[in-house]
Amino acid sequence: MNMLKAIVAQIRDDTLEVLRAPARLYRGSRYQLRQYRKGKIGLGTLVAPLFATAGALAMVSLLLLPMYWILITALSGGEGSLVSAGGFQLLPDGFNPFLIFQGDWWMGMDLSAFVWVIGDVVIPSLRISLGPLGMDIVTSELVLFEAANYGVENPSNFTLYAWNSFTVAVPTVLLGMAVVVPAAYAFSRREFIMQKKILYGYILFTQVGGGLGIAVLIALYALFVEFGLTNDKLALAAYYAALAVPFNTWLLKTFMDSIPASYEEAAIIDGAPPWRIAYEIILPLSKAGMAAIFIFVFLAGWTEFIVAQTVLQPENYTLPVGLFAIVGEYSTPWARFSAFALTFAAPIMFIYLFAQRYIEQGLSFGGMEG
Amino acid sequence: MSTSTVAQRVREFESKLPDKYSDNVAFLLVAPGLFFFSAFMFIPMGYLIMMSFTDAELSTVFQDAPGLWGSLFGTANFVGLENYTTLLADPLFWNSIGVTWLFVLTSVTLKVLLGLTVAVVLTHSLVRGKRFMRALVIIPLGLPAIFSITVWRNVFSSARFGLANQALTSLGFDQVAWLSNRWLAFLSYNITEMWLAYPFMVIITVSALQNVSDELHDAAKVDGAGFLARFWHVTLPSIKRPVMFAAILTAAASFQQFLIPFIFNRGGPARSNELIILFGYREAFSGRAYGEGAAIMLTAIFFIAIFMVVAVTKGKLAEGAHET
Repeated sequence: MNMLKAIVAQIRDDTLEVLRAPARLYRGSRYQLRQYRKGKIGLGTLVAPLFATAGALAMVSLLLLPMYWILITALSGGEGSLVSAGGFQLLPDGFNPFLIFQGDWWMGMDLSAFVWVIGDVVIPSLRISLGPLGMDIVTSELVLFEAANYGVENPSNFTLYAWNSFTVAVPTVLLGMAVVVPAAYAFSRREFIMQKKILYGYILFTQVGGGLGIAVLIALYALFVEFGLTNDKLALAAYYAALAVPFNTWLLKTFMDSIPASYEEAAIIDGAPPWRIAYEIILPLSKAGMAAIFIFVFLAGWTEFIVAQTVLQPENYTLPVGLFAIVGEYSTPWARFSAFALTFAAPIMFIYLFAQRYIEQGLSFGGMEG
Repeated sequence: MSTSTVAQRVREFESKLPDKYSDNVAFLLVAPGLFFFSAFMFIPMGYLIMMSFTDAELSTVFQDAPGLWGSLFGTANFVGLENYTTLLADPLFWNSIGVTWLFVLTSVTLKVLLGLTVAVVLTHSLVRGKRFMRALVIIPLGLPAIFSITVWRNVFSSARFGLANQALTSLGFDQVAWLSNRWLAFLSYNITEMWLAYPFMVIITVSALQNVSDELHDAAKVDGAGFLARFWHVTLPSIKRPVMFAAILTAAASFQQFLIPFIFNRGGPARSNELIILFGYREAFSGRAYGEGAAIMLTAIFFIAIFMVVAVTKGKLAEGAHET
């Protein structure tokens, strides 16, 4: 709960900071203008920030243009396929902010592509059997949202893919955390044989080993076939968890390193056994680090593409494989592809950028601080 | 990092304790993860090495055959170094090696240049709202690779709606079939790879730039050095090391690039742009020749190992490990 509060506070601070920025900018420019009127600075000094900022803004917009383009296309709805859709527009089709006064909250934008992605939201009917009493309780099907009401037939398989991704990512996270957390503690707080060598190997793999996973894919696939593990989501999860071990162990270890040793010394003096120190001091204090690796391991299972594409059959496709399948079909309307991709990526982006705060130090680790 | 002091203090303290923590018990905490990782990394690796000496194909390798060899490789035969010799005689392989190294060269140059430009602009004193823009500009880092790459694939679509073609037509040029021309496709790979990696470069470069001492800049200003001269003689030397190090890491990433050519046009047109990992993947899964695919992948692993050695010796990558 504390952590949730901290997150909310952080987001609030960030928002306030952004909201205050224009006021600060205004005060700064007014000051500059006064200086100019008094003749203390020249015209060049006055307008230089204007041009520099405009240039920087143009650069940032250009870099983010593909993202904006996808968003606009998704919001434009429409049935135009990948081949026939029209040109780039700055605003979505039919967008008119004044419509908000007429009770249209979406300001004339077409959300049908997103409706197509989400499809029907239905709580299926359940049969609860009360054996000893000899009676069944049957709940009726509860339809929360029906795509057909919004003129969308044949909604996408997004929910099926999302469910598959979920059933892969959850075992990944459980397995991964189970092996990473104890190892990180041991690396950070204990000494044992081969400690440095193993950690060294992990760090190496973290930085340069991404492609090794694909390189051994042939052998992995052959072994999966030999053991009859293709199309097995649990085997896939085990593979993801295993590959997530080096990076996350190292990350959590560096996080635990920052916990002061004096807490433990105090506990040792009070006669606490080592397991109790780990359980009652180290683990509670590294909650934030554990949250970060939880997210990273989860996302590893949620977003991996190549191995999933190689071993899974269509009924078990995860979201990335489903996304790729859409690109292959040229009949898919362009707006629908965009909406599908955005619905897949947007939540991940927000979660990731938040978790990123925890590894900002990690990115400038070791020899990088010149 | 205060790691060493923490560990030392704990160690000193523990040595005074009567019942010392038993030494290697902690290995048991690391062992499950290590075993798990090794099982999924080194067993396939060993199998891959053995496979590269066989003529394994889809039709033979999964057949039932007696003995240990049979259970591993079915009816495939041991062929010694034959896969490697055919590989060395295969022009497609040499093409793939060449294209891969060219891709590493061009994409790393682009990544470093763009990263430097963005970082310098977004730390410049004349630019207002720098922090806000820096937060915006690293957004691509949080996007799943498969998402960014499918989006960029559509940017380079040869159809009318493709963003790249729209930009060309608005500038008065003709539309271009991006992915059916060898060098245009290669260019599109480069642009995409640059976009995928620039946030990483920006983060590293910005933190390096913030460590450049202001005194040096002021001294150079007093001596009458212009912006470019100061950038060349003051800024660049002080950020060279971190940027070099990031460039090595990102070169390794470029070398292993698989998704971009795979999703754009399967390394086409006519297999001319197959980066090495994709080449091995296609030999194995489309050509059904697992043995040859294994040999290609091992060649790629050999190059990745070189990257590892360079990264370690040049960048002191594992400094963190020695501290403990």
